[in-house]
Amino acid sequence: MSKQPSRSALLSTSAASIIVFLAVWELICRAGWIDPIFLPPPSAVFAKAMGMVGEGTLIGNVLASGRRVMIGFLAATAVAIPLGIILGTSTYARAAFDPILSFLRPLPSMSWIPLSLLWFGITETQKYSIVFMGTFAPALVYVIEATRNVDPLLIRAAQNLGANRWQVMKEVILPGSLPQILSGMKVILGLAWTCVISAELVAAREGLGFLIMNGKEFFQTEVVVLGMLLISITVLVTDFVFRVLENRVLRWQR
Amino acid sequence: MAFSRRVFLHTVAAGSAVAVAGMPLTALAATQVKYGGSAWLGHYPAYLAMTEGFLKEAGIEQDWQSFGTSSSRMSAVMSGGVDIACTGIVSALALMARGAKQFSVIAIPENFGRVEGLMVRGGVKSIQELKGKKVGVTFASSAHLLVLDLIAKAGLKPDEVTVLNVPAPELPAAMQAGQIDAAGAWTPQFDAIRKQPGVTVLADDTQFSLYQSNKVTPGPDVLVVRRAFAEKNPEAVKAYLSAYFKATALLRDKPEQAAGPLSKLTNLSTEDQLAAVKGADWYSQAQQAELLKGPYIEGLQKLAELLVSHKQIDKAPTVKEWIDTSFV
Repeated sequence: MSKQPSRSALLSTSAASIIVFLAVWELICRAGWIDPIFLPPPSAVFAKAMGMVGEGTLIGNVLASGRRVMIGFLAATAVAIPLGIILGTSTYARAAFDPILSFLRPLPSMSWIPLSLLWFGITETQKYSIVFMGTFAPALVYVIEATRNVDPLLIRAAQNLGANRWQVMKEVILPGSLPQILSGMKVILGLAWTCVISAELVAAREGLGFLIMNGKEFFQTEVVVLGMLLISITVLVTDFVFRVLENRVLRWQR
Repeated sequence: MAFSRRVFLHTVAAGSAVAVAGMPLTALAATQVKYGGSAWLGHYPAYLAMTEGFLKEAGIEQDWQSFGTSSSRMSAVMSGGVDIACTGIVSALALMARGAKQFSVIAIPENFGRVEGLMVRGGVKSIQELKGKKVGVTFASSAHLLVLDLIAKAGLKPDEVTVLNVPAPELPAAMQAGQIDAAGAWTPQFDAIRKQPGVTVLADDTQFSLYQSNKVTPGPDVLVVRRAFAEKNPEAVKAYLSAYFKATALLRDKPEQAAGPLSKLTNLSTEDQLAAVKGADWYSQAQQAELLKGPYIEGLQKLAELLVSHKQIDKAPTVKEWIDTSFV
C-alpha cells in the first residue's frame, strides 16, 4: 500500500496549483490573447487592490458587506433554529407551517428587493432584510431536517428512562441535531453572501456588491474581478472561523 | 431532349439570374443591423426610422434590442451583440479610457437640456439646502455627473450629501414613498417625478458647468458603430445614417407627427411625448461634420476630464481618436 502524502506535501501542491493558475492567467493576458477589458491580468487586479487599500476604500467595502451578511444571517438563524426545532419535533406545527415554507423557499433574494424597498425604504435595514429573507427559509429547512434525523431509538430510550419533554429536547434532540444544524449554517452563510450582492445592487454606496456593479458601469473589470475575489476570500475566512467554532462547540463529535 | 451536365448548369444559372433580377431591390440589399435601444429620447430617431419605414427604404432591416443602461448596451457592442447603438457619452468615455477600440462615434443625434434634471421635495430651494439629505440617482449616468457637478459647484463636500444609487425605473416610486429627498433623472422618469405633488425641478442640464461654456450636457448622446461591422458594411452604415437623419428631420420639423408612434416606445401621454420631442434640438446630417470636428468634441474632451476629477474614470482618453466622420 502506498504511503499517505504528508500535510506539507498537500499544501505545497495546492500552493503550486494557485501559482501556476495565476501565472497562466497573467501570461495569456500579457500575450494579448485576451483584451484586458474582458479579463484583466492578476497583476492589474493586485495593483488596483493596493491602490484602493492606499485610498482606504477597500476595507470599508469589505466591512460594509460583512456587517450586512452577519446581521442578516444571525437574525435569520436566531429565528430559524428555534422554529425549526419546534417544526422538526411537532407533526401538527409542521403541517401548519409547511405550505408557507413551500411558498417562501423557492424565492430568490432578488425578488424581495421591490417589497423590501417599500417596507424599509433606502436604509441599512432594507439590506439586512434581503439577507434575512434570502437565508431564512433554507436555514429553516436545514434545522427541520437535522431535528428529524435524530435517531428515534435514542428519543424512545430517553423517554423509557423517564425523561420529560424538555429533558429529551436538551439531552437528546439538541446534541443529536446540532452537528447537522451547524453544517447547514455553514452553507447558509455562503448563501448570505450571494444575498448581500443582491441587496447592494440597489441604493448602496459601499459594499462588495456595489463595488462590482459600479466597476461594471465604468468597465473597470479589475474592480469587478477584485470584488469577486474578495467575496471568495471572505467566505473562505468565515468558513474557517465556522469550522473552528464547530470543533469547539461539538466536542463530542471529535 | 436529353439534359447534359453543361445544359443543366446553364439552365440553373440562367434561372437564378432571372429570379434575382425579378426580386425587389430592398429584399436583395437588406442588411440586418442589430440596434441597442431604450425608451430614452436619444433612441427616438432609430425607432422612428424603423417604424416610419425609412430604414426599409434604405435597405436596412433593424433588429431592435432594448437595454436598461448605456453600460449594458455598450457591453453588447463590445461583445458583438449590437452593431449600432445610441449611448450616453459617459459609458463610451469609460470604455475609451480603457482603450477599447471596438467602436467608433459616427453621429450626434441631438442636444437636450430640459428633459433631465435634479428634482426635490419638501421646500428645498437651493443646492446648499441638500446638505444632509438623500439624493437618488442612477450611478454612472449623466444625471449622476450632473448631481456631482451641482454639489461641487454649490461648495458642498461629497460627504455632506448622501448620493444613493437607485436604478432609473425605481426613482419615481422611491421619490413618492419619501425614501429619497431628491432625484436626478431623465425622461421619461423625469416627467413622472416632476408631476408628483410637492416636487420642483431644482436644476436641469442647462445649469451644468460645461453646458454654460461648451453647450455640452452632462451626458450627451452619441451614435456608435461596432468597428468590425462598419469595416464589413460601410455602405450599409451610410444608408443607415441617411434614414436616421430623415427621422431627426421629422422630429425637428413635424414633432406632432413623430410623437404618435413614439408613445408606443415610451408609454408617455401624447402631451408629454410632444414636450419630450420638443425638449431636444435635433441635428441634421448636414450639421454632423461640423459637430464631429468642432468645439463640440472639445467639450466632450473636457467632459472626460471632469469625469476624472470626480473619480469616475481613471484617465481621460483622447476623444477624437474615436470619432469617424467618414459615414456622414
